[in-house]
Amino acid sequence: MKSAATKHQEIADIIWNKEEKPGCFRIGLTCSKDYANAIPGQFITLHIPGNLSPLLRRPFSIHRLIKKSGRVIGIELLYKVVGGFTEKLARINAGDQLDLIGPIGKGFTISNTTRKVAFVAGGIGVAPLIFLADAMVETDINLSDSIVFLGGRTSDDILCASVFTSFALDVHTTTDDGSLGEKGIVTQPLEKWLASNRPDIIYACGPMPMLRAVADIAKKNSLPCEVSIETIMACGIGACLGCAVNKNKQTDTYQHVCIDGPVFDASVMKNYLWS
Amino acid sequence: MTQKNLCVDIGGVELKNPVMTASGTFGYGQEFDGLIDLDRLGGIIVKGLSLLPSSGNPPPRIIETPCGMLNAIGLENVGIQAFINEKLPFLNQFSTPVFVNIYGKTVEEYADLASQIDSVADIAGIEVNISCPNVKAGGVAFGVDRRAAADVITRVRRKTTKPIMVKLSPNVTDIVAIAKSVESAGADSISLINTITAMAIDIETRKPVLANITGGLSGPAIKPVALRMVWQVAREVKIPVIGIGGIMNAEDAIAFLIAGASAVQVGTANFINPRATIDILEGIESFMNKNKIDDIAELIGSLKI
Repeated sequence: MKSAATKHQEIADIIWNKEEKPGCFRIGLTCSKDYANAIPGQFITLHIPGNLSPLLRRPFSIHRLIKKSGRVIGIELLYKVVGGFTEKLARINAGDQLDLIGPIGKGFTISNTTRKVAFVAGGIGVAPLIFLADAMVETDINLSDSIVFLGGRTSDDILCASVFTSFALDVHTTTDDGSLGEKGIVTQPLEKWLASNRPDIIYACGPMPMLRAVADIAKKNSLPCEVSIETIMACGIGACLGCAVNKNKQTDTYQHVCIDGPVFDASVMKNYLWS
Repeated sequence: MTQKNLCVDIGGVELKNPVMTASGTFGYGQEFDGLIDLDRLGGIIVKGLSLLPSSGNPPPRIIETPCGMLNAIGLENVGIQAFINEKLPFLNQFSTPVFVNIYGKTVEEYADLASQIDSVADIAGIEVNISCPNVKAGGVAFGVDRRAAADVITRVRRKTTKPIMVKLSPNVTDIVAIAKSVESAGADSISLINTITAMAIDIETRKPVLANITGGLSGPAIKPVALRMVWQVAREVKIPVIGIGGIMNAEDAIAFLIAGASAVQVGTANFINPRATIDILEGIESFMNKNKIDDIAELIGSLKI
């Protein structure tokens, strides 16, 4: 088990920033070599230097590590234009610079004994799952028995399917409008698959309703499940305590997504996740 | 280049420079370890502490607004004893004076906190928070009434010989009256302003964005208000004033010094740039160099009217 990298702040050069699907971009930025120890599920925060509107930094999961001759030279993020910050981010060009802090937070747990995994992603939530699959393949975990469920509103929301298939993973796609794959929600094929399969763990990232549904399914099937949760965040380093989520409603205790997460064992967050 | 004097005295505590961190925006200091050199700070004011641990308000707790943010954290904290035992040892590695921000639900709780802190040598001073808008009992209730504010400070004064800084709320009709009242009650310095009570509404759901309904507005949006209040208070009290409110850069900090603040606290800026305090310190130094100012005292209260 490699030791986690410590967070730090640096000025990153943009290597590329390209639109992959309408409103969805991948941006590559340089980073210190410490990111070689980043754990899938960890995130970074960005600030556009000199730009105070929007004011706060924005968190993004690490999508992939960028390597050159085996050495980590950068990170890639996958993002969707959803507001003022990402609109500005989409206009950043190669050669521009961003203020980068990371790697931050707790990532996914990868066990050496894992043989069979179900990855469940909703839309842009696929971002950290590619880094996770990369890391599993790198540690010689054979993913050929594993499976991926990608869901989205339309075909434009279905990302990275080819990356998973390149790892010999079986990919099931659902869209709300039926424009790609099966028409419906991502948890439908997941439940169908679970009727005759038992994975070692379910890894999920996506919108809250999807995470709640996946956590419920994992509970019903008594399966370990880890979810990556997104919340509004101010500092991203555990100082402001603004990103609290309910851990236990009875005792009014909270977890903080930036330091206790963003990846949580679904059973720990039962009040937040289980219906 | 001559050696510049950036030292300031804020009511019995000598700071090596006037740049401090504002309570609630700097955790217990350790969160910024590895991001900045805590030794370079003028002072550190830690997250507001209560007698017992507090889990804070339900989420959502924060929302960004134009040029600012609202927060209703509700003073989530580990409690004074856990702070002293588990958090303070980290801060003691540094030469920077540590101020403990305290809040109570009753006058007795403030007094009890002060007596528990009094015997802790590694705590340089107490910032009495009578201005948090996000807790149901205590907090701002003491900060909006001249007599209640004085009562808290009198009781705290009896329990400690440590320097007392009082953090004022801007949510009052007459900030000068409150400032004078806490000065008479024995405050050694006054810090202002805490956040401005505010709210945001989701027009689709017609619900408040924050679970607490209201929150405190901070960030650049409140700087002009803070600057005005610091100026009003600094000319009316004899004790040092510490300016807080939307300080993002050295220019902002210098404006507060000119308005009469002996030191400043940097708050929301820490979230956007963890190095903000250091950048501000370096910016003040270069301003002094550029303008041939040898002693920071030449800037403090130098407003020309």
